[in-house]
Amino acid sequence: MSPRAAAALRRCAQSPRVIVAAIILIAAIAVALFAPFLAPHSPQDQDLINTLLPPMWAVGGDPSYPLGTDTLGRCILSRLIYGARVALYVAFVAATGAMLLGAALALLASYFGGWVDWIVSRMVDIWMAFPPVVLALILLVGMGAGVNKVILAIVLIDWTRFCRVIRSEGIVVMKRDYIAAARLSSFTNLQIMLKELLPAVSPLLITLLSLEMGIAVIVEAIMSFVGLSVEPDVAAWGVMIADARQTMNQAPWGVIFPVFAIFLLVLAFNLMGDGLRRALDTRLLISRGAA
Amino acid sequence: MTVVLEAKGLAVSTTAGGRTVDVLRNIDLSLAPGRVLGLVGESGAGKSMIGRVIARNLPGAFSVSRGALHFDGRDLLTISDRDRLALLGRDIAFIPQEPLTALNPTLTIAQQFGEHLERLGVPRGERRARIVSALAEVRLRDPQTLLDRYPFQLSGGMCQRVLIAMAFAGRPKLIVADEPTTALDVSTQAHIVQIIRRMQRDTGTALLFITHDLRLAAHVCDEIMVLYAGDMIERGPARSIINNPRHPYTRALLAANPALSGPRLRLASLPDQMPAISAFADLPGCRFAPRCPVRDPACAAGGFEPLSLGDGHIARCAPGCLSGETQAIAPTALAPWPVARSDAPVLQVDNLSKRYGGGRTLFGAETPGVNAVLPMSLSVRPGEFVGVVGESGSGKSTLARLVMGLEPPTSGAIRIDGKDVTKDAPQARVIRLDALQMVFQDPQSALNPRRPVQSLVTQAMESPRRRADAVTRLSRAKALLTETGLAPEMLDRYPAQLSGGQKQRVNIARALCVTPRLLVADEIVSGLDVSVQAQILNLLLDLREARDIGLLFISHDLAVVRYLCARVIVMQNGAVVEEGVTEEVFAAPQHPYTRALLAAVPPDDVDQPWPVEAA
Repeated sequence: MSPRAAAALRRCAQSPRVIVAAIILIAAIAVALFAPFLAPHSPQDQDLINTLLPPMWAVGGDPSYPLGTDTLGRCILSRLIYGARVALYVAFVAATGAMLLGAALALLASYFGGWVDWIVSRMVDIWMAFPPVVLALILLVGMGAGVNKVILAIVLIDWTRFCRVIRSEGIVVMKRDYIAAARLSSFTNLQIMLKELLPAVSPLLITLLSLEMGIAVIVEAIMSFVGLSVEPDVAAWGVMIADARQTMNQAPWGVIFPVFAIFLLVLAFNLMGDGLRRALDTRLLISRGAA
Repeated sequence: MTVVLEAKGLAVSTTAGGRTVDVLRNIDLSLAPGRVLGLVGESGAGKSMIGRVIARNLPGAFSVSRGALHFDGRDLLTISDRDRLALLGRDIAFIPQEPLTALNPTLTIAQQFGEHLERLGVPRGERRARIVSALAEVRLRDPQTLLDRYPFQLSGGMCQRVLIAMAFAGRPKLIVADEPTTALDVSTQAHIVQIIRRMQRDTGTALLFITHDLRLAAHVCDEIMVLYAGDMIERGPARSIINNPRHPYTRALLAANPALSGPRLRLASLPDQMPAISAFADLPGCRFAPRCPVRDPACAAGGFEPLSLGDGHIARCAPGCLSGETQAIAPTALAPWPVARSDAPVLQVDNLSKRYGGGRTLFGAETPGVNAVLPMSLSVRPGEFVGVVGESGSGKSTLARLVMGLEPPTSGAIRIDGKDVTKDAPQARVIRLDALQMVFQDPQSALNPRRPVQSLVTQAMESPRRRADAVTRLSRAKALLTETGLAPEMLDRYPAQLSGGQKQRVNIARALCVTPRLLVADEIVSGLDVSVQAQILNLLLDLREARDIGLLFISHDLAVVRYLCARVIVMQNGAVVEEGVTEEVFAAPQHPYTRALLAAVPPDDVDQPWPVEAA
């Protein structure tokens, strides 16, 4: 590993933001992976005798339902645990997809410049002029509901975030003499893009990826709230909020817990992104005199 | 005798690796009114640190640990912040290195100068008149028209004149000029030096002149102090230092500077480079000892006092090293340039030109263009070193990019071994890149920070045409490092772990990987210290011996071009104004621009007046 990468890694490991975020994310991933072992009940099991139970520590709580039950007597904790699977799946796949599409176009635009850059930039301009929520609804209505459709919608809407930022960073890197040196070493265009240009923009790419995951979690929650995401028999946090909405006055827990779960996961992704940006962005390092 | 500035045993310390180290130690100096003291040293010598101590503007981790510093009878180390601020700008003024960044781009000249005059207590009504007269004093033409201009509308030299006028406006007792001409072209440098000298003489101000250029200092200063790694190495009257340097480092510094006249001597290059601050703690005695050609064991142990050599000439060195007869640093004569052979040229350029812009807009209106290179021709034969000199904006870097095919020419033809490669087609590219390689100006930008040295130097073996396995690459990398004088330990280092000189060697090694027959080198030594520059120049000469390689050497430094190149091409504003055999061009320049360029370089002989006062 280059000393530069080692130093960057050290800065990451010393950043409180990154540490807190990593703890939350590792815990969330573990919960999602081992859901069948951790959940006390199946997320769909109804217990119509024990509906709208409060958490176990409140008056009238039942220890076998640690966080209480919803209107159909389903275990809130179990649904939260299974809901993490949907949230993380969408976060990782959608953000990665948006990154691949956006970064690929950005690399082409910044490497070739000229009319390629012009076309990509205008595409981004036009794309970003659409209101994203309307665009997402149109896409989902057109393609039909489903979690993979939500992912596709996020990719098709949010690739512009990656494209814009990576393109401008790539243009800066293209002015460096080592790109010219690679050209004089008879590298092919693809080699220059992948071996010289991509590594230079990768710290920024990682940062953006983390932030995008947080956005994807929120979008998925909104889509499942309006019933455009998961199948009715799958537990998702947005679905939980939608279900508990009517009984919010008698049983606020049904709303509070999934909202808190969304909050915690998005916070972790944002902290991670912010921490990585501070640790990896050389311009910030220079302005603070650390590099 | 009154003294404006006096330092006694001044030391500045910081902590490095858990130990306290002196980054500046035993600094003794005294500066009388109307005198000029030069602080000379390579980067990292601590010369700017002295200016910062005076302004009490030391970086956070540094502090004055010992000694005394007096200005005009007041203790600068214990003075209150209020009193110090009252002194700065009024009694002590500074001339900065980067004139363009020293002026606020959002304020006009009149606004910034006015602010300064307000601080000096000049009533509002008189300010404009004062500014105009101050600008006229630094020989700026039409000062009235400059008042409402912004700094970016002026050239670097003009900005520096404005700053000089501001520095002298308060009739200060002391002016600290930190590398005031380094960022400027040679001809501008001569003007600026001339103005500073004249103003200083007229006002009787004391001047502390900080520079890396010993020869320039010799012409500007009454006294010179040579610094090395925070130590005062030698101090004395300027003439005495230049004509009779006693410390081995001063001698080496002079011997590493290529001369503009007289016989061509092979530059004596010291091994290695100046130690970094982190290494200071392990050098208790003379910090130059590890590189010193005549060191004796006593030096490294330290504990000796500066030796007085009479006439105010002092050297901090053990007596044994100072024996005047030491021949260890004596330069050896260099073989004359090889006679031009009649081989067919490797590179032939005919009527090549480049114009930027100048197209038509959507509506057919012509846009103004810039002629970067006007039609020019040149040829380089195998083993021939050809120099291209000119100031910034002369089109010399564009020429390099055109030759390398990094930019398409507007007109003209480029031939390699007689084959036309003007169009950057795949076949032409193969021919071009097998014969030509480029060494870039800024090694910082030319080396991918994410590749280790061994991958950098054999980068060309990743191209589809030269693909090689890891074993071949490693052995090739080793051979290239040996050839360019780098230790094998460097193989796994990354650019961030290399010094400037080492980076430039890696840069050269990479260009040599495909065994080209001609190197195109664009200002490859301009960012380096003289002693490192000497190493790189000698490396290029050795490469010619070993490989019969040709060189198109682009530089603004006439002395360096004279040292390397048998033929020279002088460019101005994109046009070739003179070309010919280097020795003849330099001895009897025909074009006024060539004459001006040569006159702008401080001559080797201290007694020759320079800069010549323009009529």
